[in-house]
Amino acid sequence: MTPEAYIQTGTTLKWLLGIAWLLPLVGFAVEIFGGYWGKRFDPASNGKKTKLAAYMAVFCIGTGFLLSLSAFFIWKGATDVQLVTAAHAAEHGESHDGDHGDGHDHHDGHDHDEGHGHDAESGHDQDESHEHPHSNETLPPADDVRGQSPEEAEDHEGHGNDPYAAAFSGTFYELAHFGDLRISIDYYIDGLTLLMFCMVTLIATCIHIFAIGYMSDELTEDYEDHFVHLPGGKHFHRPGRFYRFFAFLSLFSFSMLGLVLAGNIFQVFVFWELVGVCSYLLIGFYVERHSASTAANKAFIMNRVGDFGFLIGLMILWTYFGTFQFANTDPQAAGDLGLFQMARDSHGQLDVVDTEEGKIVHLRGSPEDSERSIPYWLLIAAGIGIFGGCIGKSAQFPLQPWLPDAMEGPTPVSALVHSATMVAAGVYLTGRFYPMFTPEVLLTIAYIGCITLFIGATIAVVATDIKRVLAYSTISQLGYMMLALGVGGWGAGLYHLITHAFFKSLMFLCSGSVIHGCHHEQEMTKMGGLYKKMPITCWTMFIGVVAISGLAIPVLNVGLAGFYSKDAIVASGLAFMSGNATHFLLFFVPLVTAGITAFYMFRLWFMTFAGPPKDQHVYDHAHESPSVMTVPLIILSIFAIGCAWFGVLEGWILTSEPTHVAAGGTSAHHVALTLPSHDAIHGVHHTAGTAALFAAVVGAALSAVFYWKGLVDPAVIKRSFSGVHHFLVEKWQFDNLYDVMFVRPVHVVARWCTSFDKNVLDAFLHSLSRMTVVASSWDRKFDETFVDGLVNIVGTSTYRVGRSLQVVQTGKLRQYIMFIALGVLGLFVLLFMFFPRT
Amino acid sequence: MEHISINETALLSIAIFLPTVGALALMFFDKAAIEGMRVTALVFTGLTFLATLAIWYQFDTSVAEMQMQTSYAWIPGWNINYQLGVDGISLPLVILTGLISMLAMMASWSITKYVRGYLMLFLILETGMMGVFLALDFFLFYVFWEVMLLPMYFLIGVWGGPRREYAAIKFFLYTLVGGVLMLIAMLMFYFGSAEATGGESVFNLLTLMEIAKEGGFSTTMQTTAFIMLFIGFAIKLPAFPFHTWLPDAHVEAPTPISMILAGVLLKMGGYGIIRIAMPLCPYGTQYAAYALVALGVFSIIYGAFAAMAQTDFKRLVAYSSVSHMGYVLIGLAVWKINESTGATMGNDYWAMGVNGAMFQMLAHGISSAGMFFMVGVIYDRVHHRDLNKFGGLMQIMPHYSALAVVIFFAGLGLPGLCGFIGEVMTVLATWNYSPLLAIIAAAGVILTAGYILWTIQRVYLGPEYKGPHPEALLPINGREATVAYVLAILAIVLGVYPEIMFGLMRESIANLTVNLAEGYEAARGLGEQVGVLINR
Repeated sequence: MTPEAYIQTGTTLKWLLGIAWLLPLVGFAVEIFGGYWGKRFDPASNGKKTKLAAYMAVFCIGTGFLLSLSAFFIWKGATDVQLVTAAHAAEHGESHDGDHGDGHDHHDGHDHDEGHGHDAESGHDQDESHEHPHSNETLPPADDVRGQSPEEAEDHEGHGNDPYAAAFSGTFYELAHFGDLRISIDYYIDGLTLLMFCMVTLIATCIHIFAIGYMSDELTEDYEDHFVHLPGGKHFHRPGRFYRFFAFLSLFSFSMLGLVLAGNIFQVFVFWELVGVCSYLLIGFYVERHSASTAANKAFIMNRVGDFGFLIGLMILWTYFGTFQFANTDPQAAGDLGLFQMARDSHGQLDVVDTEEGKIVHLRGSPEDSERSIPYWLLIAAGIGIFGGCIGKSAQFPLQPWLPDAMEGPTPVSALVHSATMVAAGVYLTGRFYPMFTPEVLLTIAYIGCITLFIGATIAVVATDIKRVLAYSTISQLGYMMLALGVGGWGAGLYHLITHAFFKSLMFLCSGSVIHGCHHEQEMTKMGGLYKKMPITCWTMFIGVVAISGLAIPVLNVGLAGFYSKDAIVASGLAFMSGNATHFLLFFVPLVTAGITAFYMFRLWFMTFAGPPKDQHVYDHAHESPSVMTVPLIILSIFAIGCAWFGVLEGWILTSEPTHVAAGGTSAHHVALTLPSHDAIHGVHHTAGTAALFAAVVGAALSAVFYWKGLVDPAVIKRSFSGVHHFLVEKWQFDNLYDVMFVRPVHVVARWCTSFDKNVLDAFLHSLSRMTVVASSWDRKFDETFVDGLVNIVGTSTYRVGRSLQVVQTGKLRQYIMFIALGVLGLFVLLFMFFPRT
Repeated sequence: MEHISINETALLSIAIFLPTVGALALMFFDKAAIEGMRVTALVFTGLTFLATLAIWYQFDTSVAEMQMQTSYAWIPGWNINYQLGVDGISLPLVILTGLISMLAMMASWSITKYVRGYLMLFLILETGMMGVFLALDFFLFYVFWEVMLLPMYFLIGVWGGPRREYAAIKFFLYTLVGGVLMLIAMLMFYFGSAEATGGESVFNLLTLMEIAKEGGFSTTMQTTAFIMLFIGFAIKLPAFPFHTWLPDAHVEAPTPISMILAGVLLKMGGYGIIRIAMPLCPYGTQYAAYALVALGVFSIIYGAFAAMAQTDFKRLVAYSSVSHMGYVLIGLAVWKINESTGATMGNDYWAMGVNGAMFQMLAHGISSAGMFFMVGVIYDRVHHRDLNKFGGLMQIMPHYSALAVVIFFAGLGLPGLCGFIGEVMTVLATWNYSPLLAIIAAAGVILTAGYILWTIQRVYLGPEYKGPHPEALLPINGREATVAYVLAILAIVLGVYPEIMFGLMRESIANLTVNLAEGYEAARGLGEQVGVLINR
């Protein structure tokens, strides 16, 4: 691509996505103000509220989808990326035979050797001067700094994917700059950005439309909330808040798209918090319900705990890199590098050097500051810090308890925010920030994901609230994605992010349809047999269940979306295990959990739709939802079935894959970890896929035995394992634990601080002031006794002298004259004695 | 050109004394014409705000040095001048003062007792505040500092709540102690400057800064003076442990005075540090830097914890101020040097910290004044502030509650609103100075979210209002809405486009950090020479 073409395409993409991003913000402003003032200034609409706000919101997000789609086609045309590479096409055509691994391996090894040769030729004088042994022999030359420019990137094409070749970066505007430090609102557009844009806007459009139906009971001046009990035993009444719901949805869409479009990690943090606050507003949408506002607080604060880690990561990166930009792909600004380009060379390798102070990583940058480096452990700390943010946002262990509580929000919110988009943002960021993660960080990510997916799945087995089952399943699936990213399956993790977004939002909307149809009944123990009452919901839900369970037709290897992505994850786990035998749990736990997943998902479906009705009242009043709600279900189910077919999705994701991922283990020479290469993963794909499919079939079959055919009574099992059951129902005791560990101590310390102010600082001041008062009263006593006493003594003695001189006042003139004469004489004598004679 | 320059120099004096003129004008009103007096006072604060905007318009952002300087001999025998000037550090605060004074005046309609006296004291107070930010003569600065003190004392002591006398005297004594320390330090510099200028003692801050930059003040003197000045200003800021006057003063002060206190008066502490304590004592600053940052970090955490335990709405906001102003201290003091050479390391990060601190002052001026105003709105209606006796305001007063939530989120440091920029900039700059303190400071974000969300839940959410006088909860009126909208919009504008303010401050602050670094090395160099001589 020529620089001119780059600029032209970049500008077009910037504005297309920029408008798609900002439209919902405009929508928010119009909806919130229009909704508030509209009903006050327009008496005609009184009592008959309009759906204008909803149409506005749908228009904004729908236009956003069209813009994203056109941006995708423009991007594809301009960069001529191959979405379905020959290898992929072959792979999907033939079914996984696992026999094409060798050739690839050889090819890869050859490439790698080339890298060595190249190195040896150009040398690395900068590092030789340090005279420290390199732990990584495949050190690239420093002059590869400009590897981001597309032309040169061609040279390394065989080595792996070059994500910068098809990426466009730039700046919207600058927030601030201090010397060389610059913080701005940027954009970074590559295949992943576009994919996320299309996915978010498409799903959001469906959910917005669904919500028109779901939230229609808010279209009244007198909404009765059955969940709020007032002291008088009555229910709470309030005006409907239809417009407010759509305004918040629009604000959320804006924030989410901003997060995806962000071109630097600081900006991600900004929108990260903004989606957090939108989630807060939407969870707490029913502000009068105490449970809702508590859940909203919990979500926000737990996210802030994660963001604390995020902030630490930001501080480290900012101090050592001096930039927040992901990567700078503008050919005209070459040399002004982003984080990824500073940390990794064009082969995707970290430049790790051993020094006396420990391992450090040399950073690449402009020639004048070639001495820039970061201690290796700090790079790990930064990675774990940033991942801390992802733990919070994606509800990973140990910050997972907020997500089930977030189900207090209306169901469309659960579908959009708490399953498909916002909670997946953590996975997105982990994927986006992948080049900055060292193998140690990846291992942490893998284990966190592994723990999470198991915890989530086990709790889902005992949950009876239909939305909570889905929430725990979301936690578990997010754990899968994290695990995949952690074990080197970059593509697999993000692949599952997309497929999961479709089938999970579908299932949430189905559950919303069920809840709507059953008049806000969420307990599955009161449902059953609903397949007769709501057939569309039932069968679209079935599609979702099959998709998430990863079922497929064994011989043809054709399955729904979840089958492909889950296969890829389990394969990554297996490949990782074969390289690192000690980490066998990273394969077996997800494998077993695949069975549990199928079990609880089919349990949900059987309990809700199959069997006899368990509560006749609920059953009698149940009805299928109107078409404004079922059409989105059908659209989403089409994507849940077919979005992974033909390898387009996978190819699309892989265009953005970081350079070092494909080659696998080579990036991990300095630690005792081997990351699997693409070929290693392909090699075990068939085995892993078969195992996962087997697990899923077993899980589904068991579920049918328990909950459909009723061959075994679940209550019996429950009784015989009551301890375990209780532990799971109590969500592994996390809430109680955190309450004891954090919430109460914080309040105690807070009281200490206040009483310190009152009893120490103020008490000190008061005693000071009392001492002053005492001192001044002493002062007064001193004044009154000594000073005044002295004055009085002088006074009285003068008086006494006067009295005693009384005797000389005889009244005899002669005596007076004599006194005067004597006095004058005495004065003259004194005068002559002392006056100086001149 | 001549004509313009006269205008320019007169502008600063106009900004200072226009409120006093207003106060005098109020004397001619009939005692009963309360509404007329209020409007007149509002007009005068509005004109003063316009004057500050005119200064902004005339201001050249590319110049780092003082602009629009004016100087007349005042007490020539002592070399005291009436000397004013404005630069990128004082200008934002001058504008903030004009704005907050005007908004606080709009909020003053709730005052019904001795209205004329209130308005006159208010206007005199504004003169004092403007003077502090514009004075370039140390003595003049001190005079304005004390001028501000008395009106504030009466405003709290006469128009305050039930414990107003206690609060007023506490405020007065605290500030007076700070003033006395400042006075001693001022005299130290006055007499210390004689040697460097060749026999003539000066109060001129610019001259004193020049002397400090060349290392004209000894290291001992700088350290002593810095500690005294710092305590004086830390009381105003307020930093732990000098903060206990603040909750009492805020709780007892009437709403508009709380706005002024939080919006402007606290900024004088930060301004004093950056304008006087730091440039006059570069060595002292560096000497105390770690203590300052640590104190700031501790204030953040301590204030947040204390806020969480409050049941009085205004006390909670007051403690949040202690927490927020901690960021200012951090940002100012993240000055890292190479211990062996004395050279400054990562000057850009330090400049970023100082910029962040300045921004945090502005952001806090808006969000905190807004929070106090929002508390005042509800207090005017139901006459209580017990956090456990609110609830459900979102149902009854949705318009007010929405605005309040925006302003509280600005205080929480939500991105897109002003509080975030100040906090995050200072915290990001801190790692370079001390990773440990940076981590503790960053932990503040969790606590802040905790107490603000908990407050919002207790006051605004929930099904119904639980306290007395539910019938008084009327929707906010146009005047109140105007104040709230101005603050909310500013919070958004500054949060989305902070460059408006950073652009003003950048050059002056860059200049400041460079001068300080030079001054430190000079003082340290001289100190080393002395040490060498003694050793010989």
